[in-house]
Amino acid sequence: MGMVFFAKDILFSWLAFVIYDKKCTWNIMGNCLKMSNSDDISLLRGNDSLNRQTNATQPIYHLDGHDPQIFYPTASVSINNTTSTAHQLYEDGQVKIAKRIGLMQHLPIGTYDGCSKKSRECVICMAELSVGEAVRYLPCMHIYHVNCIDDWLLRSLTCPSCLEPVDGALLISYDTT
Amino acid sequence: MANMAVSRIKREFKEVMRSEEIVQCSIKIELVNDSWTELRGEIAGPPDTPYEGGKFVLEIKVPETYPFNPPKVRFITRIWHPNISSVTGAICLDILKDNWAAAMTLRTVLLSLQALLAAAEPDDPQDAVVAYQFKDKYDLFLQTAKHWTNAYAGGPHTFPDCDSKIQRLKDMGIDEHDARAVLSKENWNLEKATECLFS
Repeated sequence: MGMVFFAKDILFSWLAFVIYDKKCTWNIMGNCLKMSNSDDISLLRGNDSLNRQTNATQPIYHLDGHDPQIFYPTASVSINNTTSTAHQLYEDGQVKIAKRIGLMQHLPIGTYDGCSKKSRECVICMAELSVGEAVRYLPCMHIYHVNCIDDWLLRSLTCPSCLEPVDGALLISYDTT
Repeated sequence: MANMAVSRIKREFKEVMRSEEIVQCSIKIELVNDSWTELRGEIAGPPDTPYEGGKFVLEIKVPETYPFNPPKVRFITRIWHPNISSVTGAICLDILKDNWAAAMTLRTVLLSLQALLAAAEPDDPQDAVVAYQFKDKYDLFLQTAKHWTNAYAGGPHTFPDCDSKIQRLKDMGIDEHDARAVLSKENWNLEKATECLFS
């Protein structure tokens, strides 16, 4: 249980970092920020080093070979558009997703112990839950595979079984504690 | 297609096959191709509605993101209903759009569509002409819906008056389906329908 929590936290902070990093990329676009492989001392050398670097006008970002994973809140958010409003929409979407991931972190994860006599299935993938699998508990006490429910919650903050809004219940739990 | 979509559809297909409704012949489902991306559904018109006795065929397309997004469903059989386009068969139903939930299945979608046939929502129409007739001239709506059920879905009620008016327009060289659509839209007023077609 502890290990599951730990691994998940790392995943979430990594996701949040990628989203944050993505935002920065948008903000500095067009500022011609210089990036070079030489160290900072080169900046102290005066004009000649600057001249050598003028071709490196595009910011280059590396994520250690990982493609940054980008989530879209709904299919209707267009990212093909290159107008500034589309960028704004895109950014708003990313902020919304980041908030969602923050909320989802508060939903407890456990391992399925199979104690109930009746076998239960994850209604999202329709596969039976097997003992030892990581499951996420929603406030309505419906349980799902962590991967399945996280994918769903990124699209809609409701329980797929009873349609109970997940964020509302979380906010109430904040109030009472 | 994504693995989860295929495995879900396979399980749901079996669920429909095992369901009570299939025994009662009220819903049916079949595969269109081998890739499980497109299916054909069939629902029986519910009793005590103008669709009673008819069999309505549906086109079901399963998106790659299923079950996180709803299946795309439309009527192939033409139908006269406020929430279904009489031209394209497009459906206005909340669960096929914003209110979709991952726990819903092909079976619940088919049953929901059957329920939609029994309880139209004229205030949230897909076909404005049908919705207007439903609200303004309900008797005429019932007649038109029964006539369409008879013409396209094998329903039992025939209306010789409707048939003769359609025949009159056919004699003028109008396609039968176009004639039926225009007459239905013009509340079976032959003069107005003719005017609409030839002006």
